[in-house]
Amino acid sequence: MNRNVFIGAVVLALALQVAGQDAKGTTVEVKIDNFSFSPATITIPAGTTVRWTNRDDIPHTVVSDKEIFKSKPLDTDDQFSYTFTKPGTYDYFCSIHPKMTGKVVVQ
Amino acid sequence: MSRKNEPTLLLAGAKDEIQFDHNHDGIDRRGFLKCMAWAGAGAYCVLQGGVLHSYALGGLGGHKPAGELSFVQISDSHMGFNKPANPDVTATLQAAIDKINALPQPPEFLLHTGDISHLSKPGEFDTVEQMLKGLKAGDHFFVPGEHDVLNDDGQSFRERFAKGTQGSGWYSFDKGGAHFIGLVNVMNLKAGGLGSLGAEQLEWLENDVKHLSKSTPIVVFAHIPLWSVYPEWGWGTDDSAQALGYLKKFGAVTVLNGHIHQTMQKVEGNVMFHTAMSTAFPQPKPGSAPSPGPMKVADDQLRSLLGITDVNFVQGNHALAVTDQTLSG
Repeated sequence: MNRNVFIGAVVLALALQVAGQDAKGTTVEVKIDNFSFSPATITIPAGTTVRWTNRDDIPHTVVSDKEIFKSKPLDTDDQFSYTFTKPGTYDYFCSIHPKMTGKVVVQ
Repeated sequence: MSRKNEPTLLLAGAKDEIQFDHNHDGIDRRGFLKCMAWAGAGAYCVLQGGVLHSYALGGLGGHKPAGELSFVQISDSHMGFNKPANPDVTATLQAAIDKINALPQPPEFLLHTGDISHLSKPGEFDTVEQMLKGLKAGDHFFVPGEHDVLNDDGQSFRERFAKGTQGSGWYSFDKGGAHFIGLVNVMNLKAGGLGSLGAEQLEWLENDVKHLSKSTPIVVFAHIPLWSVYPEWGWGTDDSAQALGYLKKFGAVTVLNGHIHQTMQKVEGNVMFHTAMSTAFPQPKPGSAPSPGPMKVADDQLRSLLGITDVNFVQGNHALAVTDQTLSG
């Protein structure tokens, strides 16, 4: 094998591996502020973790409409994380203040 | 009776009295009246026949209506809250208790319209239970707010504050000739929705009032307003119209709510709606802030935005007087 091609192949393999790790290990932040999820809709690749942080002085929850995920009540600065492994659209809301709704689109 | 005209609304800003009686029938009025009593300006309302009179508290000249029944409503104590809007909710709840104990006519009982606690913690419930032992009022009646049912579908709330009640904590009782109904509209809330009573509770309500005489005064109390105060902030109840439909036959219905941490009143047909102040922290006027979160005001103003509601019911002439008193002064 040509030495340069070999090195190129190794570099590419490493790059792919790193890229794969990135997709799996990524964490996306959603803020809960002023009784709303921000951003309200996020689109992420499968394997991404979403982390919600409550910035309000009032507790909130993060609950999937189909109860696929459900946080405990989050007091100020509490966080909740969930890793999305399967593609699909996940609607969620705050079960204490149900006017607060959000959506995670997993590709 | 058909209604061809828009409801008449007369608000006498400079005068102490508000009246409306656009049908001149003195009985079946349908109109809309909304008065917001802000900070310190307590309102005193008497509903007599078709006319609602409202007076500023200061204009009463010491007169207080005698009635067969008087009770007090407090709300939204949020025990456990410690943010800048009120770092000491224990002190303000105590001030509310002191205010009640100083009333010229001791109330027969207390209604607490929910959000006793901030996070449904046992210690928060304990504190309020202990403090209320110092209240000079007979029975205590509670309905849960959404903050009281955070962890266990309200089970610990019911064990402490609503033993022997139906379903998720609803019940009724009779006092002084009036029929009182405590409703729960903070459970099983649906995404995108408002407060909810649910089919089971509505069916119970229908049966509960079915056999009552239409002249029985009805007092309904629940946490989230049973009228559409500001749906954008979730200040309303999705199926309240059905509940109020069961109460249409009654001549005088009073609905007492909390949740919005400020007083608001509205009279529609036979129903008078009233929301109480919080004992913990104020919330902004509808739409006046980005969200309904706790409103930080100057320290020396806080107690003028917190308070209690004193209700006197006078039998015979169907008069019901609702008095809001702030914790200041």
